[in-house]
Amino acid sequence: MQVKLKIFRYNPEVDKKPHYDKYEVEADPTDRVLDLLEYVKGNFDGTLSFRRSCAHGICGSDAMRINGRNRLACKMLVKELGTDKILVEPILGLPVIKDLIVDMEPFFANYRSVLPYLINDEPPPKKERLQSIEERERFDDTTKCILCACCTTSCPSYWANEQYVGPAAIVAAHRFIFDSRDRAGAERLRILNDQFGVYRCHTIFNCTEACPREIQVTKAIGEVKRAIATGKIE
Amino acid sequence: MSSRPAPQIGFSFEYMMWIFTRLSGLAMFLLSFIGFAGAFWLGARMYLTNNSFVDIGALARWTFFPNPNHVVNTNIPDVAVGWANAWWQIMQITILFLGTTHGMNGLRVVIEDYIDRSWLRTLLRGLIFLLWIFVMLFGIYVIQAS
Ligand code: FES
Repeated sequence: MQVKLKIFRYNPEVDKKPHYDKYEVEADPTDRVLDLLEYVKGNFDGTLSFRRSCAHGICGSDAMRINGRNRLACKMLVKELGTDKILVEPILGLPVIKDLIVDMEPFFANYRSVLPYLINDEPPPKKERLQSIEERERFDDTTKCILCACCTTSCPSYWANEQYVGPAAIVAAHRFIFDSRDRAGAERLRILNDQFGVYRCHTIFNCTEACPREIQVTKAIGEVKRAIATGKIE
Repeated sequence: MSSRPAPQIGFSFEYMMWIFTRLSGLAMFLLSFIGFAGAFWLGARMYLTNNSFVDIGALARWTFFPNPNHVVNTNIPDVAVGWANAWWQIMQITILFLGTTHGMNGLRVVIEDYIDRSWLRTLLRGLIFLLWIFVMLFGIYVIQAS
């Protein structure tokens, strides 16, 4: 099938303003949007810039707005779009560096602010810190995050104010807050009990819709809110 | 294995307003039902018995802000007498407080959402606070003077 690609282009070294370039490409319904971008880059315009690495939905490099929705280009099949017109734009809320590449630093700064690593200063037992199946299950959903930023950059609260830590950071906090081996849950909840912590979440659900890993993001945020409200990590 | 330290929740302003928003929302529902029941008890039920036109506006004012000034123009006889006790004044002030605070906090949340840490945010927060004080005082005056 023939598809009409419309791609956001911006090169700050030459362009005053961003513009859109159009390409017509032959595609199989089972092609991914990433394949089309590779094709354009290889055959029409080598300057087209986008991030990609694994091409299998696990590294989180190629989050972009495809027909208005945040998706991984490497997971989005042409046939799933249900149209032959494909609009590809960079994710919103982060500064564009070039074409589809955005500056992820503000996103990672928010991520770092919630202490996204296991903290436990107690002397380790001889073998390992054991955990029951149920205890592991408790935070299983939020371990799936690949930090692609689809959720955070789909959040209107984040668009409005990038000081908001954003759903991805709260998901990362959730992953450790509810880990029975971790000891810094209270500290993380203190960090998130801030004007720019969980209170900027107005349960809009864009994050849950956007997550390519199908993490129940809004639910995770809700559980963190509840832990703050009740003072209990359950 | 020792257990995790329980989180200590510093009672931040955002935290308290977050809880308040939820509780006041529920409380306003409850109070509207009481106001609604009160309106019927004090005479609005006559609308149902004599097939006269139901004044939805009066009923709503009655329900959400039970003040005799809001219903004097109805054709219910002696309507002000039923309101003249402390219970309804307390009801009115409670609804006034919950409604005003809930709404003004909503405005504040919009500002917190959209405005960075800056002098403008401080200014707008201050304006909302003044507006809140004004509406509260004015409302209490209307309640007491009626
Ligand atoms: S390229 Fe790795 S997630 Fe898409």
